Amino acid sequence: MALPLTTLPPEGPKKRDPHLHAASKSKFDFHSVSVEAAGDTRLKAAVQNAVVRQDAARTRSLALLPDSDALRTLAGKIKGHTLDYLDFYLEQFEQNVRKRGGTVHFARDGAEAKKIILKLAAAANCKSCIKSKSMASEEIELAHALELSGMDVTETDLGEFIVQINHDKPSHIVTPVIHMNKEAIARLFSDYFKTPYNDDPIHLTQQARVYLREKFRNADFGMTGGNFLVAETGQICVVENEGNARQSTTTPRLLVSLVGIEKLVPRLADLSVVAVPLTNSATGQPMTVSTSIFGGVRAEGEADGPSEFHVVLLDNGRSEILAGDYRETLACIRCGACLNACPIYRSIGGHAYGSVYPGPIGALLTPLFQGLAEFKDLPNASSLCGACYEACPVKINIPRHLINLRRDITSRELSHPVERLIYRAWAWTQGSTTLYNLVAMAQKIELRRRAGKSEFVDKLPWPGSGWTDVRPIPKPAARSFRSQWAQRRG
Amino acid sequence: MTPMATFKNHPVLKSVRQALGRSATPTEIPAPPELDEPLIRLVHSDFGLPELFAARARENKMRVTFVSPEDAAPMLTARLKELGIASAAYPVSKLIDQLEILPALAAAGVSLLPWGPAALNPTYDVDAGITDAHAAVAETGSVVIRPTASHGRALSLVPNYHFILLEPKNFLPDLVDLFQKLPAENDPSGLILITGPSKTADIEMNLVTGVHGPGHIEIFILK
Repeated sequence: MALPLTTLPPEGPKKRDPHLHAASKSKFDFHSVSVEAAGDTRLKAAVQNAVVRQDAARTRSLALLPDSDALRTLAGKIKGHTLDYLDFYLEQFEQNVRKRGGTVHFARDGAEAKKIILKLAAAANCKSCIKSKSMASEEIELAHALELSGMDVTETDLGEFIVQINHDKPSHIVTPVIHMNKEAIARLFSDYFKTPYNDDPIHLTQQARVYLREKFRNADFGMTGGNFLVAETGQICVVENEGNARQSTTTPRLLVSLVGIEKLVPRLADLSVVAVPLTNSATGQPMTVSTSIFGGVRAEGEADGPSEFHVVLLDNGRSEILAGDYRETLACIRCGACLNACPIYRSIGGHAYGSVYPGPIGALLTPLFQGLAEFKDLPNASSLCGACYEACPVKINIPRHLINLRRDITSRELSHPVERLIYRAWAWTQGSTTLYNLVAMAQKIELRRRAGKSEFVDKLPWPGSGWTDVRPIPKPAARSFRSQWAQRRG
Repeated sequence: MTPMATFKNHPVLKSVRQALGRSATPTEIPAPPELDEPLIRLVHSDFGLPELFAARARENKMRVTFVSPEDAAPMLTARLKELGIASAAYPVSKLIDQLEILPALAAAGVSLLPWGPAALNPTYDVDAGITDAHAAVAETGSVVIRPTASHGRALSLVPNYHFILLEPKNFLPDLVDLFQKLPAENDPSGLILITGPSKTADIEMNLVTGVHGPGHIEIFILK
């Protein structure tokens, strides 16, 4: 373990993932970003390697439960009940955290959450923050705000640490650097730590361990997220494998947990229903290495644990979702199983989705959180095959919600005017047998003319080029099925 | 305004109520869905819990040894010497005292750090933590630690080696038993369930143990 340990390097490399960069342009163009990502064979190989294994691990471990299907139904019911009475459970949680000597804050949006957290850190005169993995903090780009305030902030989950020093963004909810191979990580570490290149995962992990250990020892401010908030006890449950979230709750004197308002469960015993499908679905583990259930300040006489504890509950669009038809999407426990199961995610990776929540659940949450107009293409990033619904540990009907979002996009006239015109014309022709036959005939004649002697049409003018740029259209038969059928039946 | 009044009138809580179609938080609500025990309970019997625990803990890459009380101190000491461990931190523990672990380790030249008000920072410099446990869940092979003034969180987290002593009374059949037992008890500082050495698969799904928590966990179960 004798590793050359340098002090904090002045500045990491500024290389950015091309897909990420394209997706974070102000006008989000999912089409070109996803086409580019789908053509990136290195990316595809890295993503496939990881998610296919994770998906298989999920299936294997769920098969060991008495009735995983019924368990998922029950988990969904518990989350659904909690959402239906969220005001009640939020108030109960707040009272119980207060009893434990902690304080609960509400934040309407990311800006407010960051303001609260920066104020808490400043009031406690904190200089050094160790931050464990949290999707809510990714959502509001918390680490960046803390850095700007002059604080020494370290992401301590290995994947998130790699993301941080690479000035990158996570591309998977559970395994953030799924888009990087070990060679890329080795080059990054070699640049960052000024050490010779070594792409052995054990070496790389040890290098990070040694570096981060001093951060843990000296931190005065710990940040965590929360997988579950337990209303009846005022506690937070965090599941993890590395032990870095435990570090955040052990050494620093100030502990702040940033969690979405939807993360509540009523009872501690509910953890045996909701946490089990979470870990099984995320990584195929019946239990993660460490499950921390914490809350409140250290008891009298204790020599570790926080002496000041705050929970920041983030709304950031959640209460708006709660009101509408998409309430069920707030039951998501961020396991990433729908990403691993999704044929689209497997082809394009996470960055192409243009937000911290990728995959099928991201195609729902991103437009709902950040606006349908800006992300109107995301609900189309699905073949509606239903693999996500089948994988979901709380049985969110993702395909149904995606269809509803598509409906909303059309009814609010957010889609391309030509697209709307085409669909209107299509609907018109479907309404009458004569029109249908006429159009089908015209289509057949035109496609057969273009195909000529070939069996395929390789090129069509816009908007048909949207199809033929990617794959040819088979030449239609000389006689339609309908007319052949009519003839056979005499 | 009191903190509670500020909280109850916060715009976020107001918009949550509005979303749910009401102007005030209900004082009584229907009971949450019942926890269907056959769905969540995997271990139905109290029989053979230490053996089941040992099997599960081994699957989770923890080393498990059954020992008699009189053998515990010499076996633990021998193991520490074998691994080249020179220093260890420990909590105030009746079990550790009863088993006379500390004199044996001291005689073998292991330098010892008792948990106490100033122990946190020095714990980062010791090789091993030696602790007892609050409970052990047979179903999952999990050791349950409850931090207290005499048993700090860092003991089971910071040193690279964690040695755990379990007694027959520690064993619970199932996770359900742990969670159902808890709310009634007063647990100011929460709970930690440990189910294996610290690990990561963040780099190309390669499993590497010993990231931020202990890389090696060894359990001695007293017969």
